[in-house]
Amino acid sequence: MVISKREKNNVVIFDIDGEIKRSDITDITLHQMVKDQLELGKKQILLNFEKVEFIDSFGVGEILASYISTHNLGGKLKLARISKKLFLIFQVTMLTKVLDIHEEEDSALQSFFKD
Amino acid sequence: MAKSRLFKVLSAVIDVKPGEEVLAVLLFSYFFLITAPFGIVKSLRDANYLDDLSAKSLPYAYLSALLVAFAVALHARLQSKISRRRLILSTLVFFISTDLVFFALFSLSQWPWLSLIFWMWASTFVVALTTQFWILVNDLFNPREAKRLIGFFGSGGILGGIAGYLLTWFLAKTATSHQLLLLSAAFLAVCMIVVRAIFSWLKANEGRFSVSGSGAKPGRQDSPRVGLSDSFRCVRTNGYLKMMAAIVVVTGIVSTFIDWQSKSLIEQNPAARANFASFFGRFNAGILVFAFLFQLALTSRFINRFGIRPGLMIYPLIILLCSTGIAVLPTLGFAIAIKGSDKALSYSINQSARELLYIPVPPDSKYRAKIFIDMFLNRFSKAAGGVILLGLLFIAGLKPIAATNIPPLVGISLVSGGFVLLWIILNFKISGAYVREVKAQLAKKWERADGVIAGKMDVDAAKLVVDTLEARAQSSTLFALHLHELARQNKLTPEIRSLLGLEPTEASASPVRPLFESDAALRLPDFDELIPPSMLDQEIREISSLESYQKLVGEYAGKMIADKSAASETARMELAKAIGFMDEHSALSASLEDLLLDASPRVFQYAAESAGRIRKREYLPILVRKLADPKVGEDARSALEKYGDAITGMLADYLTDADEDPRVRANAASLLGGIATPESAAVLLGELAEGHEDLREEIIDALDRVRSQRSDIDFSEEIVLGRFAMEVRKSGRAEAPGDLIPLFKLLGLIYDHEDIFRAYQNFVKGTKDSVAYAIELLDNIVSLEIKAQLFPLLDRFSGKSEGGDPA
Repeated sequence: MVISKREKNNVVIFDIDGEIKRSDITDITLHQMVKDQLELGKKQILLNFEKVEFIDSFGVGEILASYISTHNLGGKLKLARISKKLFLIFQVTMLTKVLDIHEEEDSALQSFFKD
Repeated sequence: MAKSRLFKVLSAVIDVKPGEEVLAVLLFSYFFLITAPFGIVKSLRDANYLDDLSAKSLPYAYLSALLVAFAVALHARLQSKISRRRLILSTLVFFISTDLVFFALFSLSQWPWLSLIFWMWASTFVVALTTQFWILVNDLFNPREAKRLIGFFGSGGILGGIAGYLLTWFLAKTATSHQLLLLSAAFLAVCMIVVRAIFSWLKANEGRFSVSGSGAKPGRQDSPRVGLSDSFRCVRTNGYLKMMAAIVVVTGIVSTFIDWQSKSLIEQNPAARANFASFFGRFNAGILVFAFLFQLALTSRFINRFGIRPGLMIYPLIILLCSTGIAVLPTLGFAIAIKGSDKALSYSINQSARELLYIPVPPDSKYRAKIFIDMFLNRFSKAAGGVILLGLLFIAGLKPIAATNIPPLVGISLVSGGFVLLWIILNFKISGAYVREVKAQLAKKWERADGVIAGKMDVDAAKLVVDTLEARAQSSTLFALHLHELARQNKLTPEIRSLLGLEPTEASASPVRPLFESDAALRLPDFDELIPPSMLDQEIREISSLESYQKLVGEYAGKMIADKSAASETARMELAKAIGFMDEHSALSASLEDLLLDASPRVFQYAAESAGRIRKREYLPILVRKLADPKVGEDARSALEKYGDAITGMLADYLTDADEDPRVRANAASLLGGIATPESAAVLLGELAEGHEDLREEIIDALDRVRSQRSDIDFSEEIVLGRFAMEVRKSGRAEAPGDLIPLFKLLGLIYDHEDIFRAYQNFVKGTKDSVAYAIELLDNIVSLEIKAQLFPLLDRFSGKSEGGDPA
């Protein structure tokens, strides 16, 4: 899994490429990367899931931990461009009740300003 | 923003912020130009009345306040028809005209009851003009701004009063008293110019300040248009406003009593009798000089330092003391003391504190309430005081009472003392209600996310589902083990079954189906229907407890564990998962220690899951060690959470061991926070008391987690405040409001957690006004010691909210 970071309109976007699984992680986890941004005062985070095929329980834990860290500091963490298959998994596991998931990156970015 | 010369001069005297200076001076002048003519009018009112009708007739003058109330009702109706600017200017025109009419009448007529009509006019004068002024101030400023500036405005009013009384004192010696009315009309004419300047300034600075119904924008009519009946309904239906109304009524009654007490004693004084107008001018001027000094030097500082409750209490307490003094020793000294305290404190600290009580009232209710309370009830209460006074004087004249030889002045002073006690109780209650009103202005911006997640979804079940999906592609044994677990937990809902491809007969109807068509080769029977989950679980337990099973599978486990190759990883995962279904006494549960040491994170995941289920102490050292591994730390943590408070002591050992890996210690702190028992809290607090810099954030966060779950656990104030002082020193380097969160978390340990976080959230993400309300809430709940440390930091960031509208 490779995670790259960019910024748009004061929103930090993480482009995730690969599967978020405990067997695939590198030295730094997604949650740690989110926490680093929060420490810099950047509290609007968007996870771009366009290239994420699958996540395991480690991935679910990483997303939820990132969500908790961000929201407890008054920030927002959203997801965009998630595959149909993953969205279905998220629906069945009720993750969609907690996470703000957008079809497109633009609509996700706009939603940060509407909140 | 460049600082003007006016700002530099003004900021040397008062706490004014850049951009506020012009408006502050204009409002100061506005209040000065209302109270200066009133100083003249009031002295003439009292002098004319005592000259023409004597102190014995004073209750009739007080009673006439009822008629004034109707004039106020008319004013309220007018307010509902025209803009604020036009209303203020029209009112000034009205009082200038009628002032001149009285000048003419006093010049031409000697009719004694003209003094009563003038009394009524003068009373309407003050109530209408000052209420209009305070409505405008309430409109423009939030609580923090008001607290800073209200003392300055009040001192403008007092200074105006001094000017009016001094002019009366000097000029009444040479001019006929009614000629002074020309001077009061001149003050009002200048006031009109200042009012026009205020509204022009507001129009030019609309982004920074705005006033409802200002008329600054043509056609803008957003202020509530109400009459007296609407105002009454508004107060009747709001407990807070009802309490304010009760205070005004009691204050008015007491004020009437004080007026009668003091004037009864003054009337008997030969020096005063020689020239009442001059005496009252000098007397009132003296009072107001004291009030001005008090206002300028103490009011804002006193309220800022001690809060609104002491600000409301000081006035009635002093009146109670003086009233008792008159009852014991009815002398001119006490008369001057009670009247002096009444005027000095009511114009200074009480006026400021009372206006602050209006700040948290929503704007539409505020206008209605001020009309009913400050204009109508204020006058009505004086009339009520007059009626009670007449009744008491009547009772005092009855033979049996007169026979007791208790002077009426003493009896009335005692009754007055009773009303003051009631007033003190009401002030105590409303200062508590004020905090609740401020709190009501602060919307909670967010809930703790862990609580939100726990309320909306089952995280463990979600993880199990995704792992089941992964297992499905990996091995039928692993998949079956997952399905068994889902069935055991009653999580095999139709949606999950469909997602897992367990319902081939309904495939065509399932929205999930197309996702799995490619790997549809894997088909399992509906085993949970063939064997009910509870029976299956029983069956598995029975098999796994068989000695022969343990022996055979034990041998198999030994081989798999010894084979560290990637090829046997799946077998080790299956084994680790299967052990979780066995009990702690099974021989295989010992193999779990080896599996916990497996290099494969996936094997560890299942081993840790099983360890959390079996909960043998032997697993603990390995699990704790793995907390430092980013790949499996979360799995180890989840397993340790399952042990609950049984591992408090062990976690305490790891947390307090300075040589331990910081990641292990940080996780130990977090786990102790999750355990949330008095014992785990004591461990964390003990570590906080040590004052170590490493892990300070983790420990504070863990304590906050305890507090958010257990409000019944007490935390040592001494330790928390010690750490708080250290954090304040560190916060000197803070760059954003959010950096102050450790301070709020610490405060949340010793104050109401909900209140502190409501304040924090609004401070960090609020609008300008909600930031002000957040600070105001803190101002009313935290100690002076904390305020002295915290508020300079809050002031530094109060204009740098991370969200909302900075304007």
